[in-house]
Amino acid sequence: MTEQAQKYVGGGVPRKEDPALVTGRATWTDNIKLPGMLHFAVLRSPIAHGKIKSIDASAALEMEGVHAVFTGEDLNGEMAAPLPCAWPVTPDMKHPAHYPLAADEVKHLGDGVAVVVADDRYIAKDALEFIDVDYEELPVVTNIEEALKDGSPLVHEEFGTNECYTWPMPVGDVDAAFEKADVVVKTRYIQQRLLPNPIEPRAVVVAPDPVNGGFTVYSSSQVPHILKSALSGICGVPEQKMRVIAPDVGGGFGQKLNVYAEEALGVILARKLGVPVKWVEERSESYLSSIHGRDQIQDLELAATSEGKILGLKVKLTADMGAYLQVFTPGIPLFGAFVFPGVYDFEAYTFECTGVFTNKTPTDAYRGAGRPEAAYGIERLIDELAREVGKDPAEVRRINFYEPFDEPTTTPAGIQYDSFNLQAAMDRLLELSDYESLREEQRRRRESGDPVQLGLGFSTYTEVSGLAPSQVLASLNAGGAGWEAATVRMLPSGKAEVVTGTSPHGQGHVTSWSQLAADALGISPDDVEVIHGDTATAPLGRDTYGSRSAPVGGVAVHLAAGKVVEKAKKIAAHMLEAAEGDIEFEGGRFSVAGSPDQGVTIQEVAGEAFLGVNLPEGMEPNLTADSSFDPPNFTFPFGAHLCVVEVDTETCRVKVRDYYAVDDCGPVINPIIADGQIHGGIAQGLAQALYEEAIYDEDGNLVTGSMMDYLVPGAPELPNYTLDRTVTPSPSNPLGVKGIGEAGTIGSPPAAINAIVDALSEYGIRHIDMPASPMRVFQAIQEAKGRSGGVQEADREGRPGQATDHQTNPGGESL
Amino acid sequence: MNIKNEFTVSSPPDEVWAALMDLEGVAPCLPGAALTEQVGDEYRGTMSVKIGPLSAKYNGTVRYSETDEANRRAVIEANGKDARGQGTASAVITSTLSEEGGGTRVVVETDMKLTGRAAQFGRGGIAQDVAGKIMARFAECLEERVF
Repeated sequence: MTEQAQKYVGGGVPRKEDPALVTGRATWTDNIKLPGMLHFAVLRSPIAHGKIKSIDASAALEMEGVHAVFTGEDLNGEMAAPLPCAWPVTPDMKHPAHYPLAADEVKHLGDGVAVVVADDRYIAKDALEFIDVDYEELPVVTNIEEALKDGSPLVHEEFGTNECYTWPMPVGDVDAAFEKADVVVKTRYIQQRLLPNPIEPRAVVVAPDPVNGGFTVYSSSQVPHILKSALSGICGVPEQKMRVIAPDVGGGFGQKLNVYAEEALGVILARKLGVPVKWVEERSESYLSSIHGRDQIQDLELAATSEGKILGLKVKLTADMGAYLQVFTPGIPLFGAFVFPGVYDFEAYTFECTGVFTNKTPTDAYRGAGRPEAAYGIERLIDELAREVGKDPAEVRRINFYEPFDEPTTTPAGIQYDSFNLQAAMDRLLELSDYESLREEQRRRRESGDPVQLGLGFSTYTEVSGLAPSQVLASLNAGGAGWEAATVRMLPSGKAEVVTGTSPHGQGHVTSWSQLAADALGISPDDVEVIHGDTATAPLGRDTYGSRSAPVGGVAVHLAAGKVVEKAKKIAAHMLEAAEGDIEFEGGRFSVAGSPDQGVTIQEVAGEAFLGVNLPEGMEPNLTADSSFDPPNFTFPFGAHLCVVEVDTETCRVKVRDYYAVDDCGPVINPIIADGQIHGGIAQGLAQALYEEAIYDEDGNLVTGSMMDYLVPGAPELPNYTLDRTVTPSPSNPLGVKGIGEAGTIGSPPAAINAIVDALSEYGIRHIDMPASPMRVFQAIQEAKGRSGGVQEADREGRPGQATDHQTNPGGESL
Repeated sequence: MNIKNEFTVSSPPDEVWAALMDLEGVAPCLPGAALTEQVGDEYRGTMSVKIGPLSAKYNGTVRYSETDEANRRAVIEANGKDARGQGTASAVITSTLSEEGGGTRVVVETDMKLTGRAAQFGRGGIAQDVAGKIMARFAECLEERVF
């Protein structure tokens, strides 16, 4: 397309979405009310594992306002297929059939058992209490290491094992690297299980289409297009008869990147009863029935020289799948395979992951999805290495960084990073934070015996963003179709419509795509309407996750707009009676080179294209173009973060005093939005580092089953962030953009833990598991002083995947 | 979940033992508990508890699984299911009596298993607190009513 100055891209254009959101005019799925609509509620298993001996719903059916009660036995036969897992990671992966309602056996707390359809949701919920289910309890396994032992209770008896799969990836001669190493750091880190908390829980409304047949599904989903295809297959409805609409969606964080039982139930009930039905999730229900995040044990070995140069890395993961496989469950930890080598230049690497079934809610994508886990592993390791070789962690990072590059470079994991300049990000970070002064303050506090110690923690990381090149997905056995589609059309009035297959749920696509289209077309962002989230109006799309929207979907918008301008240029040349090669395009106006007075605006061209009266010979009317962009590679945003903590060694409270982040996602489309993504991402990562943990007891009860027990931090717990960026364009797309949606979540957990360990390193403390609660800090200090820390929660050898502090320590966190 | 409660009553162990062996006499002392019928050596009954915002009414059975008069040790097994499908509760309650200053020290060790909502409410030790309160009132009542 014609070169022109970027007017709106890169500028802080205020979000077009916000007036509706902040004045309560947004339309959430729960706001949708249809004539004759009934409501359903799901009866969930109160136990983690058991056979369903009988279900008596007679008392519920007698209640006024109750229309129907169905069990798994009633409904599962009406389904064309069980709920899908789209990523069979190995040919021999164990894949249990997963139906919306368990018919014979419940496998985890919250597993659906029956559904009540009633006049309103209150009657439906009340009626659940009158369904009598008789269970025969079965033995429960919640700990992934126990689950792999002989004699463990089996989640799925038919497999004879709880091992779902083992996925190996050997690269380079790792043993040779370890043989010549001066230093080997061997360690075990725990990625605790997390509960995603989008501000809007899930919700679904399904309406039968009385005119054309088929169904319209409204769902609080990140993935209306994926959901459309999946529901079509599950429910046996032809794809062209299925329409999915994601209205305003209040956050997703990967939890809504899925195909859920209640969405399928909605279609089946609407079909069976012939009326619209609605289901809205409650928060505590969400904690049982929507996917969880993380939950893996990392056994890691790092080989290095005495100078701190990395020679090789061995990674062995044991990852909790939960009781069933949701859409991407088995693949999530495997993203880590590509991220574990991090931003460090070395050769020898092995990665192996074993997925394990337990009687818990399934895990799946949660902001970062496999990448925060891996970045945590390597970023904690490099701090341990720095301590081992007696160097500053900044220096050890620097001697291992890749030299800056702007063309793809192959990594030990066998993929190609697109462009890096960690040195520039690190330089800027040290300057921004005045690192030397902070170290000086740390020395002062140590020398004066200040009970409040200062800790500095780095994280220099990359993420795999911009999912995904279709070929790569296919090679990983994850199907393909990683492209994204866009249509740009000029209307007769000269305004533009941008149709995108991405599906925003808070990220501000409407604003960003308006900026991209406005710059390409030379019009105002106010004149651009962005159409999304409805498979009828945006029929082609692969939705929003994996920091893909800008580097895949945004690029498609840019390319489609470029095609519009190309066609417009031909029409302009015809209108101006000039050769196309003589036409210049700037600021929305086509003019003849050398005669700037002779020109037409793109709006005028759009009008002409619509009328179709004065077009070049053989040209079709209208000014519209499609693009489907399949990225040639992922993009690899990177960053350097520094977390500054104050650890009170008396109260054991950790305060994040400052947080500095220098991120590089290539050229930024909208700095306000990019900063917002980084702010939220850092907050979500600090939440994992310091506060959040989903805890199951040995009977499979989720004892952090409400927001009273699951600690989601708020603004008072978080510092002011000091942000800056460097700009290293990606060679993978014409905009040079990289994803930024998950960067903060990937960078911040290791930065925070590195900082806490740094603060306490004088005690000889080498590691504290997440979340670094006052209890864990207390125990670490006590143990370092040779005293019993009470509960052995911080014991890295013996700590199970899910320790249960309430069992042995009824006081919980209150110590 | 293991809960240990201790209390003393002013009567001697013989009398307390006799009282404890009379399930029908003791049951009213347990707040929320009621026995409804006896089938063989097993009683049917209900137990209502309120844990924070949750209330549960468990229907179930209770019986002595072990009575060791010589050592003044009795084990009660109770199993219940919430009337409104909110989960189950089971408990093995071991009571041991010993003489203390003319009165009796009663040590009650409860191994309790909860499922459903009550179990998901447990991280802050609320269920334990509730059990502790119930036992304290049980002790008071025992003192007043039986002796």
